[in-house]
Amino acid sequence: MKEEFLKKWQMGLQIYRPLIDNTSVSERRKAIKLSADVAMASLRKGTTCWSRALIQKTATEDNFLVRQMLSGIKAETLINKKLPKVMCHRKIVRRSKKILRRRQSRSAIEEVAAKARKLVKKKTQGLRNVVPGGEFMSNDVLLIQETLDYIVSLQTQVNVMRSIVDAAEAGSERTAYYLGKLKFAIEDG
Amino acid sequence: MSSGRRSRQASSSSRINDDQITELISKLRQSIPEIRQNRRSNTVSASKVLQETCNYIRNLNKEADDLSDRLSQLLETIDPNSPQAAVIRSLINE
Repeated sequence: MKEEFLKKWQMGLQIYRPLIDNTSVSERRKAIKLSADVAMASLRKGTTCWSRALIQKTATEDNFLVRQMLSGIKAETLINKKLPKVMCHRKIVRRSKKILRRRQSRSAIEEVAAKARKLVKKKTQGLRNVVPGGEFMSNDVLLIQETLDYIVSLQTQVNVMRSIVDAAEAGSERTAYYLGKLKFAIEDG
Repeated sequence: MSSGRRSRQASSSSRINDDQITELISKLRQSIPEIRQNRRSNTVSASKVLQETCNYIRNLNKEADDLSDRLSQLLETIDPNSPQAAVIRSLINE
């Protein structure tokens, strides 16, 4: 997966090559990050919710880049595909929960369990804020599955970027060493 | 009556989901280095796992931003003839 990511990321950076000499540092940083994100998301080929959401989000910031990087992988459909509207209507859920609660008698144990469930709900909400497209995942099971996949992809992205930057920052004597290490790390997958 | 049936259905499907969620949370626990390394307690609460997951994701994103920053600085200051430039050039040209 690391090799695929690197290839896609390189492709994205190549699109920016003519601009690299003439743009500001902050624009360059944004370009690097955006192409890394699209590279990471495109590896999933639209099969996960988070990757579709990330591509759409990036497309709003740089439509040209996303189209170029995705050309050949149904770029149009990925960018324009509507994310599923499975958001719960909170008012209705709250009302029905209140009715259910009134009917049940609460023992001390039930109270504790309810508090624990409430805490978990709060934390899963936090997760929704951090995972791209999380706000569309009302199903907790889906949310955690997507989170697991997103974490694996993020780790790949960060590991490859870290290897490149370390190699690039190294002094001349050590560059050869780092290049070898980088090649090894990437092939290690 | 129908609402009774509905609540019974809801609780049975939520039982299935609970098992799934427990399994997924244990998978999460294994993915988060913070928690994996703290072998002291066998039982880490679900909410702690979720909290650590949020933190971990935020940190990963922050590190990616930081790395993009360093890379863009390098492109700015690098001497075109140095070996570092060769590395970056190979990254961009390949």
